[in-house]
Amino acid sequence: MLSTLTSRRAMMKGLIVLLAGMLILAGCSSSGGGGNTTTGTDKGTNNESKAPAASGEKVLTIANPTDIESFDVHNNNNTFSEAVMVNVFDYLLKNDSSQNKQPSLATSWEQRDELTWRFKLRDDVLFHNGDPFTADDVKFSLERVAKDSALKQHTYYKDLKEVNVIDAHTVDIVTNHPDPIMLNRLSRMGADILPSKYIQEKGIEAFLKAPVGTGPYKFSKWTKDDRIELVKNDSYFGGEPKWDKVVFRMIPEAATRVSELLTGGVDIVSNVPATDIERINSSGKASIEQATIQRVLHVLMRTGEGSVTANPKVREAIELAIDKQAIIDSIAGGAGTPTRTSVTPGNFGADPSLYDNYIYDLDKAKALLKEAGYESGPKLTFTAGSNYKEVAEVVAAMLTQAGFEVNLEILEPSKFSETYNAKKFKELFLLGVGNSLFDASNNYNRFLVENAKGETDYNNPEVEALLQAAAVNMNPEEREKQYQQVQQHIANDRPTIYLYQMKGVYGVNERIQYAPRLDEMFFAEEITLK
Amino acid sequence: MGKYIFRMALQIVPVLFLISLIVFVLVHITGDPVNLMLPETATEADREALRAAWGLDRPLYEQYATFLGNVVQGNFGTSFHYGEEALPLVLERLPASFELAAASMLIAVVLAVPLGIISAVKRNTVLDLLISGLAVIGKAMPNFWMGIMLILIFSVQLGYFPVSGRGGLEHLALPAFTLGVGLAAQMTRLIRSNMLEILNQDYIRTARSKGLVEAIVVGKHALRNGMIPVVTIMGLQFTSLIGGTLVTETVFAWPGLGQLLVTAINTRDMAIVQAAVFIIAITVIITNLITDLIYRLLDPRIKYNS
Repeated sequence: MLSTLTSRRAMMKGLIVLLAGMLILAGCSSSGGGGNTTTGTDKGTNNESKAPAASGEKVLTIANPTDIESFDVHNNNNTFSEAVMVNVFDYLLKNDSSQNKQPSLATSWEQRDELTWRFKLRDDVLFHNGDPFTADDVKFSLERVAKDSALKQHTYYKDLKEVNVIDAHTVDIVTNHPDPIMLNRLSRMGADILPSKYIQEKGIEAFLKAPVGTGPYKFSKWTKDDRIELVKNDSYFGGEPKWDKVVFRMIPEAATRVSELLTGGVDIVSNVPATDIERINSSGKASIEQATIQRVLHVLMRTGEGSVTANPKVREAIELAIDKQAIIDSIAGGAGTPTRTSVTPGNFGADPSLYDNYIYDLDKAKALLKEAGYESGPKLTFTAGSNYKEVAEVVAAMLTQAGFEVNLEILEPSKFSETYNAKKFKELFLLGVGNSLFDASNNYNRFLVENAKGETDYNNPEVEALLQAAAVNMNPEEREKQYQQVQQHIANDRPTIYLYQMKGVYGVNERIQYAPRLDEMFFAEEITLK
Repeated sequence: MGKYIFRMALQIVPVLFLISLIVFVLVHITGDPVNLMLPETATEADREALRAAWGLDRPLYEQYATFLGNVVQGNFGTSFHYGEEALPLVLERLPASFELAAASMLIAVVLAVPLGIISAVKRNTVLDLLISGLAVIGKAMPNFWMGIMLILIFSVQLGYFPVSGRGGLEHLALPAFTLGVGLAAQMTRLIRSNMLEILNQDYIRTARSKGLVEAIVVGKHALRNGMIPVVTIMGLQFTSLIGGTLVTETVFAWPGLGQLLVTAINTRDMAIVQAAVFIIAITVIITNLITDLIYRLLDPRIKYNS
């Protein structure tokens, strides 16, 4: 009886506490939120960028849809990760906003012979922990990514044989084969320079928890799937950084990113959906900035025996049946440029005659199919990842209009990459390719006979010879011509049909001056207050 | 009671073992993580090298044996995605998940208990119809839609709450309300039907005939018994709130376990999936234990040894 009474009392107490807690929560929620918006001070962490007049701190807040992978710059493989890293780490040289090579940690460079490059390094650079930057750091960083096959960036650096330290501020980088795009490699993700002494003494795990670089901003805090906070590096070699604090927020839902922008919670949002462009532009609080990015969508086709697309007329009919501009307008809200090559302006080897144009002629497509002997449409299986579902649906509809019988197959992204790597697609598949190397080789080497097997089965001895020669050709003029010829061949042979170059769509707060970059990096030093 | 808790704790071991086997097999048959880790231009040799480096080229049973051996020592392995140990990555998400789950539950209880009681006491009146109608609407509104609407109204238009992210209580309000309303709707209906049944019982008539005031009859005698099924629902819902609130987490950019788990599944990040499922399983078991203990508190007729 006694125990029943006590437990009853305990329960009543519990209920009262519960109710009281609830009231407190409700009370705090409204007053906390209200207070937050009226004062606009640093109480709510996500309101920090709202001109925090009280502290006078200059804070830049950028919202991305996904988090970074890690601070291991050699083991990341996405643009959103590197867009953060470029503020903490430096390359030997970096691309300016027009993709010209500029000195960064290296002051000058020269090619010594076909296999060797010499770099002179700055002697006034300190890592965030105070260690001086020397040639040993370059050797450690580049050899790490070149030799450890478990790192995701290894594939881009595996031809790098060794780095020789000449003196404390001079290194020789030696490759196994002549590498015409060495400078492109050294100014992209995976080429960031890490602090060798710090990592060798404390281990990589400790480094990942408290990363240290040479860049304008120092690591402060990373709450996964929430935010990364960077603070100003007062001893940055490039002068005093522009912001006191740079915050990257991860906001997966596009509608939420846009709401954050409109309430002043963040200054810049990436990946704005086409449907929100008007809403942002008419808000008076923010506007849209667009910039072409290094991503081109294309439809790859089987050219080998046994496939209906083995017939060049069928492939031509496919290109003629696709109205590229209509896809850009309907799906991307106009944010794209039609193209017949993936080597777009700003990339080495670009052929301007194939860019910003397309051929579309539905009647001719139908006639070509008849010529090819098809009265009722040839059957095609067309595969795409669910991330490009809408584009694939429109392409399939256009092909159907021309008389094809299309079996559209939409795969979840991980299933898509698996089929892609196993080279198990049927006649057609849709692919978005990036190009962080800014070089024609990156996307056209897929047409080498060895690489094309099972994918496009493309085999053109002329193209093969040109690609092989260009891969190791150290004469830029000659090499450029070789790639331009390759592009003309591909545009005629059509193992693939390029659709359009995508544009990055950003929402930018009115107080911010920001010109988005082709490489999608967020260099905080290039972003200013108006 | 101590014996009872001990017996429950013993069940955890075989349950966790079974779960680990199922998750391991499922993750492995659905795909190869290496394909998702490398860039489009990687060659087959690159993939082989990466597979070997992560031990993914060894037979499945061997990988599982190694995995079990490590788990016993509290090591769930290294995440492919983050390159860090998996267990701390999962544990650091728990506070955010618990915070959201507890706040949602609190909102649900505060809304549902009074509404359910009023609905039962005033059954078949306009008030009852109104509450029942609201409950149907609350249950029918998808979290995704409701979250975005709450943001548009209370953050963008009125500016009362921050749009997204985790911080103070003001950040918690909208996501907790989004989840809480759905739960409250379900609980209101449950409390109403329980109370209706109980209010017709003999002991309620006895209480009334003793001359007790109606508030005590309803609030003490009836409510206590009416809460038992509600506690069951709360227990079940709490555990599903811990790992399964992805939609709400995504809308409000809430860094909880749901987001971590779904990213891990999509990238075939075995270590994280295993560690997360283990932690969720342990949460379920503990919550069930607590639910059982509360039953006994509410109804002393339920014995520990039965």
